Parts: sequence; structure tokens; C-alpha cells
Amino acid sequence: MRLLVIRGTSDRNLLCEFCTTFTQIVEQHCKYIVVSGFLAIASGRSRSTEDIDMIIDRLSLDRFTALHHALILQGFTCMQSDSPKEIYEYLDELASVRYTWKDRPLPEMELKFSKDALDDYQLKTRRKIPFTGLDVWFSSVDVNVAFKEEYLKSEKDLADARHLRLIFKDVLDEGEIRKIKEMIRVYRLS
Amino acid sequence: MKQPDDQIARWAEYVRTNPDWRKFHNDFINAQFQMHEQFLQRLLKTPGGREKIIELYGIKNLKGYEGLLGPAPAMRS
Repeated sequence: MRLLVIRGTSDRNLLCEFCTTFTQIVEQHCKYIVVSGFLAIASGRSRSTEDIDMIIDRLSLDRFTALHHALILQGFTCMQSDSPKEIYEYLDELASVRYTWKDRPLPEMELKFSKDALDDYQLKTRRKIPFTGLDVWFSSVDVNVAFKEEYLKSEKDLADARHLRLIFKDVLDEGEIRKIKEMIRVYRLS
Repeated sequence: MKQPDDQIARWAEYVRTNPDWRKFHNDFINAQFQMHEQFLQRLLKTPGGREKIIELYGIKNLKGYEGLLGPAPAMRS
């Protein structure tokens, strides 16, 4: 068994390297967003994570197979299966699947299809966020704050939201946050 | 454990005003994964370590992790 090589440098940490490499491949195949905790972390939140969450457009089996093969070619693997058809069945049932670098269980990219109008809205309003220094599409800061305060609500998520509110206080749109919280109540909490 | 609000605010202010935050932050995150790799190597050397890793991460696609776990037992000579 070979000793695995640690990547990541002082210029770019391993999570950012993993995320950027993965998203560059996905970008060639479909629209995506990185959601949940990684925006807070990429914006300096003093915590780490084992997984990054991604939502992509719903794809046909053929298009997903092409994406899967591109990921494999670039050194990623799927924890659930190496059969694109089997992985697609998970996604099609609105479950998530996890990709990692080959031979390394962490970090993970947890990938799922857009499942409702709220996910579609997040994809439609996606942003690149220069402060992160990453060429990655994120769900907007407003969406991140709204989800963490209205839906996720764990201590970790509320601390993430507080961090985001402080870092992006000059650009937050409270009206948009209220609107997204209302959508969360309709699509996720009712 | 809950992180105090003033601690979050102090660090956020540092991040907003000091571009060198990235170095500390990157070192912190890279260290986590370095420790994780060391943990995996130690676990692999223990009895049943391979199976524990498979269970811990819910790995179903063993082929994708052969470099870490070695070939599946049935395939070993």
C-alpha cells in the first residue's frame, strides 16, 4: 500500500485545491453550485470540513456518464460505485453521491441533482465570490445566510452565518434574505 | 462546543482587514487532512483496520480505493 501524498500549500489549502479541480471538470458538463459550509470556510471561517456540497442541473444518463468519465480520468472516484448507471440511479432518486480523489476517502464532494424550485433558484442566482480567491460558482451569500439561519440552524451553521454576515456586511441584501427564507418555509419546511 | 460570538467577530474582523489570514487558515486546514492521513495509516496497521475504514466512510466501490486498502481479500493470492 502506498503512502498517500499530502497536497495543499500555504497559498492554497487542500480543500480549495480539491474543490477547484473538481468544479473545473463539472463546469465543462453542466451548471453547478457549491452550497452549504464551504463558502464560509473559503471566506476565512475558522473551521474545516470533510465534505463540500454541490448541486448540479438534472442531467440525462448520457450526460452524467460523460461527466463521470471525465472525473475518473482526472483522478477522482465515486464512493458508492464505479458504474455511472448505478450512480445515476442514486441521483435520479434525489439521493447524493460522494466523489473523492482516488485512494483518499477525504475530502469528499457530495453531489446531488437540483430537486425543486428552490434549488433551481440557487442555480439561477449563483455567484463567483472574489473574496474567496476561487474561480468557483457558489450559491449567493444571501442564500447561504438564509439557509443557515432558517433551515440548518445548528450551532456550527449559525456561527457560519454570523461569520458571513460580518465578512460580507457591505453587500448583503436583507430583502433577498427574507425572500429566500420565505421560499425555504414553502419548499422545505411545510 | 459553541464558539463565542465575540471570538467569531474578532476573527472575522481580522480576515476583513489582514490579507495574511489565508496563510494561517491554509495551514490550519492542511494540518487537519495531514492528521487524517496519518490516522488512516495507523488504523490500517491495526487488526481489522482495513474493514474499519471501509465501514467508517461507507465505501462500496472498493476498486476506487485499492491504493489505500489493497485489493479485496478474494483477489489476494
